[in-house]
Amino acid sequence: MMSSEISTDGAASSLRPWHFFTLVGLLGATVAVLAVRPSEPAAVVLLVSAAWAGSYVCFGVYRMLLPLVTRQFSDQIETIGGKALAALEREKTLVLRSIKELEFDRAMGKVSDEDFEDMGASLRLRARSILKQLDVDGSSYREVIERELAERLDRAGLEPMASEQTRRVCSGCDASNELDAKFCKSCGAEL
Amino acid sequence: MSTLGTYTLIAAFVACAYAAAAAVAGQRRRSVRLLESGVGAFYLVTALMTLASAVIMHAFVTDDYSIRYIDQYSDSIQPLFFKITSYWGGLDGSIMFWVFLLSVFGAIAVKANRERHRELIPYVIATISTVQMFFLSIMIVYKNPFATYLIETPVDGRGLNPLLQNVYMVIHPPSLYTGLVAMTIPFAFAMAALITGALDDSWLRAVRRWTMFSWFFLSLGLTLGMIWAYEELGWGGWWGWDPVENAGALPWFPATAFLHSVMVQERRSMLRVWNISLVIIAFTLTLFATALTRTGIVQSVHAFGEDPQLAMMFGVFIAVVLIVSFGLVIYRLPLLRARNELESWASREAAFLVNNWILLFSAFFILFATMFPTLSEAVTGQRITVGPPFYNKWMIPIGLVLLLLTGIGPLLAWRKSTLSNLRYQFLWPTGLALTTAVVLYALGFRVWVSGICFALSAFVVGTLSQEFARGAVVRRGVTGSDMLTAMIGLVMRSRRRYGGYIVHLGVVLIMLGFAGAGYKQTAQVLLSPGEEVTVGRFTVRHDRLSVTDDGAKEMHTAHLTMFESGQEIGQLYPGRWYYRKHETEPTTEVAMRRSLSEDVYVVLAAYDMGDQSASFQVTVNPLVNWIWFGFAVLSLGTGIALLPESRFAFLASKAASDEAGARASGLTTTLLVIALGLTGGVSEAYAQIGVPLDSYSATSELEAELQNELVCVCGDCPHYTLAACRCSSPPRFITTSDGRQEIASAGAEYMRGQLREQVELGRDRRQILDYFIAAYGSQEPLGAPLDEGFNRLAWLFPYLVGCGFLVGIGFVAVRWSRRSTVKGVAVDGTAVAIDAELDARLDDELRNLD
Repeated sequence: MMSSEISTDGAASSLRPWHFFTLVGLLGATVAVLAVRPSEPAAVVLLVSAAWAGSYVCFGVYRMLLPLVTRQFSDQIETIGGKALAALEREKTLVLRSIKELEFDRAMGKVSDEDFEDMGASLRLRARSILKQLDVDGSSYREVIERELAERLDRAGLEPMASEQTRRVCSGCDASNELDAKFCKSCGAEL
Repeated sequence: MSTLGTYTLIAAFVACAYAAAAAVAGQRRRSVRLLESGVGAFYLVTALMTLASAVIMHAFVTDDYSIRYIDQYSDSIQPLFFKITSYWGGLDGSIMFWVFLLSVFGAIAVKANRERHRELIPYVIATISTVQMFFLSIMIVYKNPFATYLIETPVDGRGLNPLLQNVYMVIHPPSLYTGLVAMTIPFAFAMAALITGALDDSWLRAVRRWTMFSWFFLSLGLTLGMIWAYEELGWGGWWGWDPVENAGALPWFPATAFLHSVMVQERRSMLRVWNISLVIIAFTLTLFATALTRTGIVQSVHAFGEDPQLAMMFGVFIAVVLIVSFGLVIYRLPLLRARNELESWASREAAFLVNNWILLFSAFFILFATMFPTLSEAVTGQRITVGPPFYNKWMIPIGLVLLLLTGIGPLLAWRKSTLSNLRYQFLWPTGLALTTAVVLYALGFRVWVSGICFALSAFVVGTLSQEFARGAVVRRGVTGSDMLTAMIGLVMRSRRRYGGYIVHLGVVLIMLGFAGAGYKQTAQVLLSPGEEVTVGRFTVRHDRLSVTDDGAKEMHTAHLTMFESGQEIGQLYPGRWYYRKHETEPTTEVAMRRSLSEDVYVVLAAYDMGDQSASFQVTVNPLVNWIWFGFAVLSLGTGIALLPESRFAFLASKAASDEAGARASGLTTTLLVIALGLTGGVSEAYAQIGVPLDSYSATSELEAELQNELVCVCGDCPHYTLAACRCSSPPRFITTSDGRQEIASAGAEYMRGQLREQVELGRDRRQILDYFIAAYGSQEPLGAPLDEGFNRLAWLFPYLVGCGFLVGIGFVAVRWSRRSTVKGVAVDGTAVAIDAELDARLDDELRNLD
């Protein structure tokens, strides 16, 4: 049936829904033109367009009905703090841009120094809070999960496995380095 | 085919209803499946409308006259081009075109914003679907474009009105509709923000580009309309203040106001209630514009016809929209309170406030003046005319004030400007303006309005050049590059701001184009072959007349040779075209020679094939092409401002990358605030055959003055002044209830004769006006209503409203400044301890951001 023809698992030979409906459109257009045999080129073009539009109507119906009948709709990105990571990044860029614009305005004499401090302060506050939020949400997923895991294992009375070592610590300055580093990036000593 | 079309529309209606219901239900119940299904249905509507469009265009192309709409707007000899574009030529099709555009824009908006504004999307879908359902319901129950003839199928269609068979019919409606329809998207996002309570700036960001896009196409559509009027209709002007023209212009004002005041919200978190209201007003005015064009509630030559039932449907919908949207605003008022206040009138916030005030006042004034004849007739039973003389009296000063503000705005500082700061900013532009004024005066230019316009334009140019120069210097200091690179980088880095400045430059050019009309020169003359006429430094010689036929129309053309200061520079071919099946409505084909300094505009007014003599109207229009050129500059600025803000946008300053994909190329535009129909020699040509020449030219100053104040009441023209209209419709008399004879309608020629009679009898101005009022039974022949009785309202009301607005703003401003200052509120509310490391990182990131 339809669902077996259409698989979206990213394999090289997968047929996306819109491929299918485009093909249907082409087929339908061919059938329509052969059946009607229009006399003018403009009529051919419009007939073909109508047939294609018809097939995309079917696509629309498919798109409308599919979520109701399958259970594979899990497109929610995990959100922490109510916003997706990407949105947070965008937000950060925007706030930073606003700060830059404010600096430019001051250079142009459009903002007094006092106002610049005022308006800049609230913008910087916001930027800092976003940076902090990004820290928590972004890079520390792994730590959050590990913490959760430890808690649950603890509750179940089990021991967590030794965690993988992901960083190398310099003996001289205690800085954290990559696994494959040969020299410490902070003090330069050989690892 | 027609059944397919009808069922497609019905299916679209059902899909819209489902989309709205499923999206909202899915959101409320947190059911991803329902929500996704709703989004799918929304896309389905787009596909269905595409199908319907293809079907109707196919019907046009295959000459399917069983469908009434095809029969009315097409025939077998019509060129293919016009067959296809007759899709939007009539009422029913234009509504379908509207829904088609809305479905496409809606799909794009939803697709682009699905992830970024998740919480808003379901309500955006619901709002857009509701609007679509309204228009679809009009079609399904009342004005179905696919309706067929039940019994007889005509053999051939009636054909498109020849006045509509030109390239502008193809591009003006789609452009204007794009502008009007696209305004629905910001409205939908505003509604979604109100419903969900997510009233931070995120909805603004989703909406800013759409508003700019809509604003641009509105400007483009209006400009194309202006060019159409100028090139095709032949009366020499480009804006007639016709009700439908006005209605199309109305949404432009709140859109412009919104584009400006949104900056105040972003920078200072003020005017939030105001901004949402602006979006609602803009959308409502687009609905109103549609309604006015289609229902004929105000008499207009552009209207599709009169239709009280349709007026009722639109009226109800507009009322519902207003009640629901403003109700939501009131409901969310606590969340919309401003966080900052207006601290000084010498600040940019104040300048934007004044700018908004003027724009909204203009919109209101135009709306009021447009509706006034209907209002007056309803209240007093008397027909009056509100024509160009009335509008121009008001709009010219308003336009000049706006021009001044355009120059002042960028110079003021945020929050407040100190005296030394003001001196620093204003010195150069003011100096430039004064110098210009003095030079013009010394050179002998005496048309005051144009002179002021030139001086103000110099002021704005001074402001803009100062902004660019100083900005480049600042940037050069930061990046260490040369001036040219700094200037390019400047524009690429602050695209919105500097794109906006370029738009302002375009506006200045357009205003200059308008100002040139004050120096118009015109001549009306009867020429035999070989004779010539001189206007300004141009001479035009009449050679001969010719008749040709191309199957669709018969063309009567005059052959003219043009000379400039004695040198032959080219040929001109003005003519009149008689289309098959529309022989009684010939079109006027204007002949023009365009150049940057002026246009030479020639119209064939009347002619005699027998002795090859003809009467011509020759006009020299200085600077008129600067209007169109100004629009091109405006489009450039809009394109720059619209460029997408990608992550790597700031690199554009270092490597001049080509992100001009979003560049919008425009033809021309208009600033509808001013139609400088200055009465010094209005040029026109609306002639028909056999019109004697002596009734045209006024013989005394009083007659000339009145020729520009009285308007034609033939009913076929949009109330052109007697000096402009060339029609010769015979007078129609009716007998009133008390036995008197009144004139129900008459053409301009007849009216000019009456005027000539009255002037020769030695009557004064008031007596002549009284005569016309008595003869025509109402004030309809007067271009502007007399300032007495009920009509005093027409003159007083705008004053009252304008002052009322001003008082209101002043009141709000004072109240704002009395509230205690709220300083340094973290917009998100989460106070983060001053962390040195975090600060260092912040500075790092700022440095990397170029």
